[in-house]
Amino acid sequence: MKSKKALSGGTKDGYIFILPAFFYMLLVLGYPLVYNLVLSFKNVDVKNFTKGGSVFVGLENYIHLFNDDTFLLVLRNTFIFTIACLVFQFTIGFAFAMFFNQKFKVSGPIRGMILVSYMMPMSVTGLLGKNIFANDGLVNDLLSKIGINGPEWLVTGATALIAVIIMNCWVGIPFNMLLLMSGLTSVSQDVYESASIDGANWVEKFVFITLPLMKGSIMAVLMLGFIYTFRAFDLMYIMTAGGPLNATDVLGTYSYVRSFTQFEFSEGSAIAMVLFACLFVIGLFYLRLLAKEDD
Amino acid sequence: MKKNLILGMAAAAATLAVSAVAVSAEPVEVELWHYFDQSADSKAIVEWVDEYNSMQEDIHITATYVSRDELMNQYTVGALSGELPDIGMVDSPDMASYISLGVFEDITAELEEWGELDQFYAGPLSSCMDSEGNLYGLPQNSNCLALACNMDALEAAGYDHMPTSLAELQEMAEACTDADSQTYGFAMSCISTEEGTFQILPWLRGTQNGAERANVSDLTAESAVTGLTALANMVNNGSMSKECINWNQSDVFNQFASGKAAMAEIGTWHLAQTDTIAGFNYDFCLLPTGDEGTSSSTIGGENFGVCTGAENKEACVEFLKWMCSKEKSGEWGVVAGKIPTRTDATAEYDYEQDGFAVFTEEMNYADARGPHPEWPSISEAIYSAVQSVVVDGADPAEALAGAMETITPIIEETPLPETE
Repeated sequence: MKSKKALSGGTKDGYIFILPAFFYMLLVLGYPLVYNLVLSFKNVDVKNFTKGGSVFVGLENYIHLFNDDTFLLVLRNTFIFTIACLVFQFTIGFAFAMFFNQKFKVSGPIRGMILVSYMMPMSVTGLLGKNIFANDGLVNDLLSKIGINGPEWLVTGATALIAVIIMNCWVGIPFNMLLLMSGLTSVSQDVYESASIDGANWVEKFVFITLPLMKGSIMAVLMLGFIYTFRAFDLMYIMTAGGPLNATDVLGTYSYVRSFTQFEFSEGSAIAMVLFACLFVIGLFYLRLLAKEDD
Repeated sequence: MKKNLILGMAAAAATLAVSAVAVSAEPVEVELWHYFDQSADSKAIVEWVDEYNSMQEDIHITATYVSRDELMNQYTVGALSGELPDIGMVDSPDMASYISLGVFEDITAELEEWGELDQFYAGPLSSCMDSEGNLYGLPQNSNCLALACNMDALEAAGYDHMPTSLAELQEMAEACTDADSQTYGFAMSCISTEEGTFQILPWLRGTQNGAERANVSDLTAESAVTGLTALANMVNNGSMSKECINWNQSDVFNQFASGKAAMAEIGTWHLAQTDTIAGFNYDFCLLPTGDEGTSSSTIGGENFGVCTGAENKEACVEFLKWMCSKEKSGEWGVVAGKIPTRTDATAEYDYEQDGFAVFTEEMNYADARGPHPEWPSISEAIYSAVQSVVVDGADPAEALAGAMETITPIIEETPLPETE
């Protein structure tokens, strides 16, 4: 009985301690979110933005979006872009992390050089991508040297999306490598040593030791990678302006253009809410996995 | 002691008096935001503001550079939050939207009192108005599009003159194209932004087979289809790069300046950058968008408006009147490579005089975009139609009919001005 009382007092104290964070979240996250949600149920555009006269239209914006071919293309682009980037930057990043975890002589400097692409602002990466994937850019020049006639990368939809994915991986690989390397260092060498004594080869060590012991790091990297990639904006905004014909438009760029270029504020908000809903589901999934792990 | 006290009191009174004078003489602070980012105009706006601040003591202008995209976002956000500059710069076709959003203040009365409004060209001035004819700013500079030609490349292809019709442009562009060295006959921008629409419109508004020029409310007209078909043909036969869908106007000029394009659709402001053209002879002519000897172009330019909530509207208007005065309008044309927005202003160009003469003549055939509060949606329909032709090989007539499906309901609700 005594201990229960003490616990409830502690819980009360705990609530007081989280109050500042709660109010911060309410103000910085809650208010814009609710504002955006309300906006997405109205018909606010250039004509009634400040003059008033907008009305609630229920789910009309959402129904219109899901019947709009361009939006469905943008949604598809966003998932293709995110999943492709995640697969490539995670596997290559993991391979680099394992490689540079071997303490050889120049591993430090090379690792540092790989990180340069991660340190560059995304707008610079976008401009770089625009130039190297131009018809007479670096990529096609290199391809021509080995006798391949390179495609018009940024002119056709499929290749433009590939080019944007490649540029994003260029930035994402070092990011994945960095996080996974810190995960690798937390795995004790003793475990590998005892596995070697038991006769395990490198594949067995990787599958039965590295992967299970790094589960937490891997989940965190994939989760962060998904969030960062899903809400991508500046890369395609600079590199392709979402074109050709929306082939590289993702939810972030499309929402921005609808709101700030076309002044269709409610429709832009509805797109942003779809983006939020996707990330919210992924976030819940991650939290559930974490909770399962704790159990 | 008493004497000291009296002296002290007198000194205090004098200090108070001086500070009171200082307070009353404090100039009115006016914040101006612009997006001039070329070396010439970004330098000029700072010099002009300094000049204005030093020539009078009542108003003090502070000019701040904000990148164009960021400035437009600030206007949209500021329309709700009220955090706007006192004076703001805006691209002429966008002004109608920002007026509708409530970003700019009605200054019709102040400008009418000025008595110089009839000196402004009608097109640029109309871009500062709402649908009821109220004025929210002044057009500060104007520009249009013409054709730049690499005369050496034309000569090598067997031509001693510049194209004078759309048919001749196509023929010469094909003759000047060299696929091996990736040199194209003609370059223009079809990018998915307002810049694309700016460059595309002259080709949709050309005079074809003596027919009347199409306007934005009727892009399914045969002349518009003919114009777009010509662009499609140039893309299909390789005399125009498909990369035009990713090029902005600066990229187009760079293609021309580096010798990668024999002919290019360029803007008036590029005349201030011809020093980057190296190693070949060049010349300018009217855009050959249709029948022999005819031309069409688009009017561009920047406006300055007084923002809603500006504390000292009168001071803002005073500065605008000075900046858009007869003398200053001409001066800006020379400095920034633009065309004055006033009929009584003369720009004494001391460089590329022949080029400016071509652009000035081209202004006679240039049409304004809108003004229309939903111009961005109209613009998107136009560049998307052209991109579908360039990228997907869509039929020009069908692509333009698709664009009209978007445009028609918009202009049925709020019609375009009659000149359209």
